Amino acid sequence: MAFSQRSSFRLLRTLAFALALASACMGAPALDSARFLESAEKRGPHTVAEARAVLKLIERASTQDELVRLILVNDFFDQHIRYAEDIDVWGVLDYWASPLEALQKGAGDCEDYAIAKYFTLASAGVPIAKLRMVYVRAMVDGKSLAHMVLAYYAQPGAEPLILDNLITEVKPASQRPDLTPQFSFNSEGLWNGQGAPWGNPASRISQWRDVLMKVKDEGF
Amino acid sequence: MSLMRQVWLLVLGVVLTSLVGSVAVSASSVRHLIGTQLEVKNADNAVALALALSQQHGDPALMELLISAQFDLGHYERVTWRTADGKVAVEKSAPQQVTARAPAWFMHLLPFKVAPGLAQVSSGWSALGSVEVVSHSAYAYDELWNSLLNTLALLSGVGLLAVAVAYVTLTRIRRPLDNAVAQAQSVVEGSYRLVEESRVPELQRLTSAMNAMVLRVKAMFEAQAEQLQVLRVQAHCDVLTGMSSRKHFLAEFESALTRDEGPARGGLVMVRLRDLSGLNQRMGRPAVDEVLGAIAKAIKAYPESVNGCLAGRLNGADFALWLPAPDVAAETAAALAEALRASLPAFGNGIRVALGSVELPRESSMGQWLGLVDSALAKAENQSGFIVEAVSEGVDNAPVQGERAWRAQVIEALKARRARLVEFPVLDRQGQLVHLECPLQLKLDPGGEFEPAARWLPLAARSRLTAEADALAVQLALDAIQRDGQARAINIGQASLQDGGFIARLRELVFAQPTAARKLSLEMPESVAIQHFDLLFEMGRQLRPLGVKLGLEHAGAGLAQVERLFQAGLDYIKLDAAVVTGLVGDTARIAFVRGLLVMLRSLSLKVYGEGLNEAEDVQALWDCELDGVTGPWATRAGS
Repeated sequence: MAFSQRSSFRLLRTLAFALALASACMGAPALDSARFLESAEKRGPHTVAEARAVLKLIERASTQDELVRLILVNDFFDQHIRYAEDIDVWGVLDYWASPLEALQKGAGDCEDYAIAKYFTLASAGVPIAKLRMVYVRAMVDGKSLAHMVLAYYAQPGAEPLILDNLITEVKPASQRPDLTPQFSFNSEGLWNGQGAPWGNPASRISQWRDVLMKVKDEGF
Repeated sequence: MSLMRQVWLLVLGVVLTSLVGSVAVSASSVRHLIGTQLEVKNADNAVALALALSQQHGDPALMELLISAQFDLGHYERVTWRTADGKVAVEKSAPQQVTARAPAWFMHLLPFKVAPGLAQVSSGWSALGSVEVVSHSAYAYDELWNSLLNTLALLSGVGLLAVAVAYVTLTRIRRPLDNAVAQAQSVVEGSYRLVEESRVPELQRLTSAMNAMVLRVKAMFEAQAEQLQVLRVQAHCDVLTGMSSRKHFLAEFESALTRDEGPARGGLVMVRLRDLSGLNQRMGRPAVDEVLGAIAKAIKAYPESVNGCLAGRLNGADFALWLPAPDVAAETAAALAEALRASLPAFGNGIRVALGSVELPRESSMGQWLGLVDSALAKAENQSGFIVEAVSEGVDNAPVQGERAWRAQVIEALKARRARLVEFPVLDRQGQLVHLECPLQLKLDPGGEFEPAARWLPLAARSRLTAEADALAVQLALDAIQRDGQARAINIGQASLQDGGFIARLRELVFAQPTAARKLSLEMPESVAIQHFDLLFEMGRQLRPLGVKLGLEHAGAGLAQVERLFQAGLDYIKLDAAVVTGLVGDTARIAFVRGLLVMLRSLSLKVYGEGLNEAEDVQALWDCELDGVTGPWATRAGS
């Protein structure tokens, strides 16, 4: 058992390195797996196991088509994170969790799903320009809810595919009449530090920027 | 480097460093703050604009309108909407505003690198691209410039205040420091001063220690003076009466006759108790001693009240009194006779005294004086009872002229500089010249001779022209020193010192020839130190810093009476001939001279002897370790 773990660990490291190289060529942010695992270790053994699963996912997904990647990542997080309100999980009204935080708790709400899927897809080689986080209005059981989903644009201006925790499948936007989009954003222009320097106190003010900082710490 | 300069450099360095440091830190933090603010503004405005644009259902016209509105009504440098494929759809830009106040070099030095705000625009599910917002930063430069200037101004103000306070504090510290240094220097020069104790703790111990030392010197001086008194009595005085002994009186008399200063004519009174041996047999020794004491007391009243009078007991029954003024001898003798006639009968009857008085020109020899007074006394003795016999001889050799004529002659002689300095050497033990003593001689009569001071000084004193004469002497001495570089000493009279502007005139003369001044000495009679100590002190204070040396002449036991001799700031003392002659074989006199020397040496004064004539006297002085001698012997040895 130990031997296989050690060898798989070594394999993972090599793969991560290859991934980094590959994604450097593709212009997508690479995942520093050593750092990722280190951060996971700080959160406990359960998180380490989850982290390893994520790494395996990324490795598997990188070899596939983009559409397949979407499905793989969507399924993974829908299975590994159960839905719960921030107030129950974190004790505050609104908390945007980084992927490791969400995996540690094993629970999260809509934006936590979207964040986890966004960064994982980015690490798997999907260009950020194709990904958007979207504020939507969702009709659930006749009630109108504030919701967030992840949208994937195969080409600019095309109809997006929606990754959502309300349903298990990845469907095109036209097939999701229950969602009314309001506003979308992503981390374009903010990723490489050509924006605000990370040490800037303004970085911590907004939720999104806070998440970006946490995620950077985790190795994304 | 001087202590003060070091402290100043430290203060200025600290102030400057903190000023520059504060300004730099302040500027940097303000710049950081402003930059952050601009970035936050960019980001937030981008998001707001993108939100608004996303509500327009993708209508390009509406979106352009919105962008224009935002741009025109806000403070933006550039607003750009790029479509999803990266092409610029709408761009509004305004050139960089020229800053109002910040100069161009400043903007180059501290540029703001502000990241533009970026946000995604969508309509429904369609991604419409992104909008980029860049705010104006020109005003930020102005803000930074203002803040920098304000900080600089404020800190400069504070810095100047700090420097001013430092200046005041250092000056306050400096004063006691300078005082302490001045006191120490004055101690070195032999002028012991007390200073006010400083309040600065570090210096307080110094000043109190110095003051204690000065007080100790004073106490030592007083102890020595007391001992000197004892020695003096042993050396100079008659045991019974306390008057000068014969030897001493004659020495003093000789000195009074031969010195330059003095009246043209003087008087000598001699008192003899008649039939001393008979009285001894009749009344017994002790009673006769009382009588002698009473006579001595009556005579001593004169030297005690008038400066310059000399009294002495010449032998068992004879007393002498020297009066340094004309026309008083006969009156004095008569007054004495009256006093004695009244007081002596109390001791017994049959007590008679004979008195003789004589008035002569001072320049007469001692033999003439004594001979004449003796014959007067003999004449008086031949008669019976209390007899006073007065003799007055010698015509006033000065030509008969009115006071005004005298004055005119002396003034003219001084103005025309019909004067010369005569030189008498002062030699040290090795025979080297210490300095030349230079009395002034005036040619009153243009065709006549140079008159010595003894002749013209009384005239000048009567006309109150001594100050002029002394000033002229100093001028001539300075000129002579300039010529041959030889040290010279000039006598300054008491009357000259009392003249108001005299010291100021001397200062001017000395100031004009500073190199010559350093070889000039000024000497004053001992009486100046006793009676006008303040004038002496003032003279020292004004002239010694210029290098002039000060001394006392005709000094003797009177020095012990000068209370603050240790503060006077003198350089040398010349002991009167009466004190330094006749030392051979006289241990008491030698002891006195040695005692005087010890006292004066402890004040770092040089001691010279005046009026030395005999070689053996000179040798006795070398044995006492005197510093030098002057007088006929020195004049002979030096030539």
